[in-house]
Amino acid sequence: MRTNVDSDTDQSGTNEGVKAMETSEWLEETNKMHIHRADMNKLIMNYLVMEGFKEAAEKFSIEANIKPPMDLDQLDERIRIRTAIQNGQFQEAMRMVTALHPEILDDNSQLYFHLQQQVLIELIREGRVEEAVVYAQDHLAERGQRDPSILNELERTLALLAFDQPDTSPFGDLLHPSHRQKQVASELNAAILRAQNQEETTPLLAELLKLLLWAQDELNKKKVQYPYMTDLIKGQIEERK
Amino acid sequence: MEVLPTCMDVEHSRVYIDQLYSNDSQKCFQAVSELKFAVIGSVREKGSIIEQGVVVRLLQILRAPELDILLKTEVATVLNSLAKGLPEHAAALVQAGLLPVLWEQLESCPSGGSGSAYTQMLLCCLRSIYRQGCAPPPPAWDQKLLSSLIQHGYHPPSNQECVANILAHACKTNEQQQQLVDAGGADLVACLLCSPVSRVQLPALHCLTAMCFNNERVSSIIATKSYGGKAVPDLLVGLMARDRPRDMQLAAATALTFLHRAGALSADDPRIIYKTLQCLVRMCRRDREVWERVEAANTLAYLTEVSTDLQRTAAMTDHLIHTMNDYLKDTTPPNASVPQGISVSPVSCRQYDNPSTWPELMVGAALKVYASLGANDEDIRQRVIKTDVLMNTIVTSLSAASPPVQLAAVRCLHSLSRSVHTLRTTLQDHVVWRPLMTVLKTSNNEELVTVSSSTLCNLLLEFSPSKEQILDQGAVEFLCGLTRRPHPGLRLNAVWALMNMAFQAEHRVKVSILHHLGTDQIFRLLSDTDVHILMKTLGLLRNLLSTKGHIDQIMQCHGKEIMQAIILILEGEHSAEVKEQALCILANIADGDIAKSAIMSNEDVLKKLMNYMVIPNVKLQIAATFCISNLIWNVEEGAAERQNKLREMGVYKLLQNLMTTTDTGLFDKVKTALQQFH
Repeated sequence: MRTNVDSDTDQSGTNEGVKAMETSEWLEETNKMHIHRADMNKLIMNYLVMEGFKEAAEKFSIEANIKPPMDLDQLDERIRIRTAIQNGQFQEAMRMVTALHPEILDDNSQLYFHLQQQVLIELIREGRVEEAVVYAQDHLAERGQRDPSILNELERTLALLAFDQPDTSPFGDLLHPSHRQKQVASELNAAILRAQNQEETTPLLAELLKLLLWAQDELNKKKVQYPYMTDLIKGQIEERK
Repeated sequence: MEVLPTCMDVEHSRVYIDQLYSNDSQKCFQAVSELKFAVIGSVREKGSIIEQGVVVRLLQILRAPELDILLKTEVATVLNSLAKGLPEHAAALVQAGLLPVLWEQLESCPSGGSGSAYTQMLLCCLRSIYRQGCAPPPPAWDQKLLSSLIQHGYHPPSNQECVANILAHACKTNEQQQQLVDAGGADLVACLLCSPVSRVQLPALHCLTAMCFNNERVSSIIATKSYGGKAVPDLLVGLMARDRPRDMQLAAATALTFLHRAGALSADDPRIIYKTLQCLVRMCRRDREVWERVEAANTLAYLTEVSTDLQRTAAMTDHLIHTMNDYLKDTTPPNASVPQGISVSPVSCRQYDNPSTWPELMVGAALKVYASLGANDEDIRQRVIKTDVLMNTIVTSLSAASPPVQLAAVRCLHSLSRSVHTLRTTLQDHVVWRPLMTVLKTSNNEELVTVSSSTLCNLLLEFSPSKEQILDQGAVEFLCGLTRRPHPGLRLNAVWALMNMAFQAEHRVKVSILHHLGTDQIFRLLSDTDVHILMKTLGLLRNLLSTKGHIDQIMQCHGKEIMQAIILILEGEHSAEVKEQALCILANIADGDIAKSAIMSNEDVLKKLMNYMVIPNVKLQIAATFCISNLIWNVEEGAAERQNKLREMGVYKLLQNLMTTTDTGLFDKVKTALQQFH
């Protein structure tokens, strides 16, 4: 009986240092690939709908003559909630989510923590130190007690209070608005999609890019030489040395 | 800049709690809403609210027929959130009488229509309670409730998820399994398995597993169900595919395993031997998470427990024996955390809450797998034994581990002890019998003691070098004590062990056995309702009464009682097999020099022997003839008198008549006997 080919001791031969193909050849082969317009459109529509760009989705639906995968009014609640987060209105966002999907915050403890952490960060940023401490005690302490990984994050956040100029402190990264807020917004968005029984919670385009990066990583590990995409946005390809 | 919520302000919270009791439904609704925002996501708040006795008021609102359905929905939302807290919170809710209220309310809801948001919340609430595992299982479902619950399970997806989870966690007894199938549960589950929503498929799998477990009838029904043109077992194989989430793969593999063990799918069904087994082995790999590896190994052990084919296949799949070895050496990684968002089966979901218990769970699982793999095949056993730290782990686990791991260790040892070679070698190098004896003497766990005594039995076989040492430990006395236990499995193992011990044993051992057992107890064992115990007791007597010198000495002390016992058997209603054993014992007694007189002086017994010589059962005839043969054996003192007596009784004539027999075995015995006469 054949041994299972997944076994990690079953190497069918190494490809170390092998050259895959010349860049020009590669580009030629790539150009021969034909991707249907319809598929491209579906990917774009999927991205717009998932991220909640309702107007863009509506316009795109007309231009590309493609039907949206769902009633676009369903996007409204997610849009409202994401907007609230982008405006730093985390409390409001939490209340909206609870009103619409009461189970989300109970079932996603990490997410709830991140939202509360944002509130805390805002207070610290505005110098409302006393309120920050009270908020941390009232809401976050019990969460930190039960989950050691959350405790770590919590301590880092509270450590900001020890510095006169928190944004230059070692934990200053916590104060950068855009990155954190986007993360929490995406997290919440995904949770809502799950609660709506959607199977996919991140845009397929994102998954495709992840696959590309993973594949390149695997090839790099095995030291294969191939035309390597250095800039995902511009699609720039270089010879990998 | 946001204004902070002031609901943490004690004054404020008291106000809205007071408003809960208001008769003004607007104010009441506001209060419930505030309550909702307070408890969702906060375990502390949930506890506090419960402590303040608010639950009673909430239940009151649910029960009031005149109150608005929106209010009731909001209340149900609060209760659902409370139920998602700590197990004690859910238990408190059950104590307060939540379940009957929920069921009652669910009954009064029409399926679909305006009550649907309320229905949804009620189902969510029920599901959250059941998932906590604190709902007391009724011995049987209420038929009407069950039917309406199943009806709710067809639409929409959020109700489906709730119903599947409720059934998965609540279905615990055989009777419930039957009822569930009879009420259409199997059809519902088949439908849910085909849902496009994985949140529905997973609890459906758990529900299926709960229904099939150890239930032949239900499993055979389920195996033949289909949905959308595909049979359930094929649907399960689809859900086991590698692109599915891990918890789903595991649940599907478990379902197939239970179907096989309950007899609905055979061991050579390709879905079992080429799909399920591989999936489980794959999930045991080093790069997987602990919960996955433990669950997969436990299920694998159960899958391969009986079938030798499956054992053999598993043993050569993906270095399984080696992989299990890793389990024995594993230590908890320092940043181990409880699996988030993973849905482990209802049976084992609480097991992984504490990472410090994980190494022990791994050891237990691996030992169980080894126990199954090594149950029947000697080659596999030898490979298992060679495993690095196995014997040391077994010995340590026997003495130091928690009962489930002790049991796993004993089972493993039991499988290994079926190998003669192992008994003589490895099991000597590692003194296993000592901790085994300790387990036997100190444990209250019946299952543990039964398997341990079985293992001890094997260790006491003649060719086991540790026999002497075990005897020195007071094993005889202990085993004789075990023969008095109510559990028949234990009695059997004890007698069997004594029988093994007596085989070709020294006189002092035989004396010790008779002394500690006592003839009274022998009589009791010979009257045991379990025929296996009876047979082994006769076997014990036979072993005791072997070797001339021993026979004479034993018959001198206990001759009267032993003869009584044998007569008891010969006169009783027993199978031919049993009677044959008794006759063989008589034959042994007839071999003793002095003991012969015990038979010769007993006319009744002699007459019985003559009867058995002519009874139409060859085996019995042979045994009786052999006995006679021993009695008249020429060489021995007093042979002439004995021969005369027997000739007078007509034995010689009987023997002559038997010469016409067509059975060669009997013929030989008769001829030998006749040759002795002169």
